[in-house]
Amino acid sequence: MIEAHKLVKRFGRVEAVRDVSFKTRKGTITAMLGENGAGKTTTLKMALGFLRPDSGSVSIAPGRVGYVPDRPVFFPWLDGWAVLGLARARSNGNGRDGNGRDFGAAVLASARSLLFDPALLRRRPATYSAGNGKKFAYLQSLLPEPDLLVVDEPFSALDPPSIKCVRDILCGLRDSGKTVLLSSHMLAEMERIADGFVVLRRGQTIAHAGLREWRLLRSARTGPDLESVFLRLTGS
Amino acid sequence: MPDPALLALTWRVTRRRLVSSPLAVVAGLLFPAFVVWLGLSDSYATAAKFFFFLLPHVFLVAAQDTVRSDVESGALENVLFLGGRYRGYLGAKSLIAAGAAAGYSAALFALFAAWGLAAGGFGPDSLLKFGLAVVAGLYYVALAGLLSHSLRAGSNVLVLLLAQSASIIALVFTTTARTGLLDYAATGRFPGLGARLVFGAWVAILPNVIVSGRLAWFAAEIVALLGLAVFAQVRLLRRLEIRK
Repeated sequence: MIEAHKLVKRFGRVEAVRDVSFKTRKGTITAMLGENGAGKTTTLKMALGFLRPDSGSVSIAPGRVGYVPDRPVFFPWLDGWAVLGLARARSNGNGRDGNGRDFGAAVLASARSLLFDPALLRRRPATYSAGNGKKFAYLQSLLPEPDLLVVDEPFSALDPPSIKCVRDILCGLRDSGKTVLLSSHMLAEMERIADGFVVLRRGQTIAHAGLREWRLLRSARTGPDLESVFLRLTGS
Repeated sequence: MPDPALLALTWRVTRRRLVSSPLAVVAGLLFPAFVVWLGLSDSYATAAKFFFFLLPHVFLVAAQDTVRSDVESGALENVLFLGGRYRGYLGAKSLIAAGAAAGYSAALFALFAAWGLAAGGFGPDSLLKFGLAVVAGLYYVALAGLLSHSLRAGSNVLVLLLAQSASIIALVFTTTARTGLLDYAATGRFPGLGARLVFGAWVAILPNVIVSGRLAWFAAEIVALLGLAVFAQVRLLRRLEIRK
C-alpha cells in the first residue's frame, strides 16, 4: 500500500531523513519506530504529501487515505459538525456515506466506537481537550472508511478505555483488509497489534521486519520482546 | 482548472472564516453606511466618488487571511489536505475571497445604481468605474495573497494600508504650486516618462485611482501586475510545504 524508496529530506543544514526505504502490505498493521528525531514524522509527512522529498520516491496505492496527526489542529472558526461535513464533501458530498447510511447516524456510530461524546460536535474542535481532539481526528479520518490509515502516535493523549477502543478499531481495520501505518514510541502497544516494523535511526532505516520475520524472531527460544530488540538495534 | 470538490470545501471554510471575522463584518457594513451617509448629507455624486474609490478595499479586507497563518496554525496538516491538496486549497482560497468580494460588491453596486437611477444621477460611465474597481480589487487580492506567504493574517493588509497612507502623505507634502502629479492624474496627461513612472509606482500601491476611467495606461499596468502577482503566487504555492 505504501512503498518508500531511498527518501531524503533536508531542512537547511539538518538532514532529517537521509535514507529511508520501507514497504507496507495490504491488510497489515506496520509500526514505524525510532528515537526522538529519528525522522518518523518527516517520513510520514513525505508519504502523505505534506513535504516533498529532496530525493527518493514514495507511492501509495489508489484508495481512500486517512491520517491522524500526533497533535491534531483544526480551523478555529468551525464547529465539529462543520469539520466532519468537510470530510463528507470530500468523499461524495451527497450527505450519505459509502454504504448509503445517513451521515449523522454514521457519525454517531463512529463517535460511540471511539468513546467520543457526540455533544462535543456542537463545539469547536479547537476548544477540545487533547484526548478529545485526538478522538475527533480519528472520527474525521474513519468516517470516509479509508483503505489506508496513517497515524502518528496513535495512543498519545488518550485515556486507557479510549486506548482499548482505538486498538480494537485498528485491529478491526486490519482484519477487514485495510492497511494501517503507525508511528509510535509505545513499544508494548506496538508489539501487541503490529504485524511488521520499520525502525529508523538518525534518518535511516536500520531494520525492516515483516510479519514472517517477526514471527520467526518471536518463536525463537530466546524470543526477545520488541523493547529489547529496539534498544539493541538503536544502540540505546 | 481547480477540482470542484476542493472548491466546495474551500468555499465552506472561507465563507465561515469571513463571516466570523469581526474586521470583515464591520468593514463590510461600515462601507455602505458611510456611502449612504455621504449621499444623504451631501449628494449622490459625492457618494458615487467615494463608493467607486473605496470599493477595491472590500476585496482587500476579504484577502486578509490567505497562506501563512493557515500553514503555521497546523490546520492544513489534516486528512482533508493529503497529497499536496493544501496547495489547491490555498490557491482556491484566493479565488473564493475574490469571488465573495466581487459578489458583495456587485450587490452593493446594484443597490447603489438603483439609488442613482431614482435620484437621476446614474450614468453609463458608472459601469466602467465599477469594472475598474473590480480590477483594482482583484489586484488587491493577488497582492495581499502574495504578501501573505511571508506575513501573517491581517499584517499583509496592514502593510498595504500603511504603505498607502505613507504614499498619500508623501504626495501631499511634495505638492507644490507648480503643476504636479495630482494635476497630471486629474487630466490623465503626463508630460514625460519620469512622471509616468513615479505615478505608476504610486498606482501599484494605491490602485483605486484607476477607477476614474481617465488613466487607461495605469489600468493596463494594474492588469499586468495582477497577472504577475498571480503567476508569482502560483509558483510559491507549488513549492510550499507544511513544515510545522
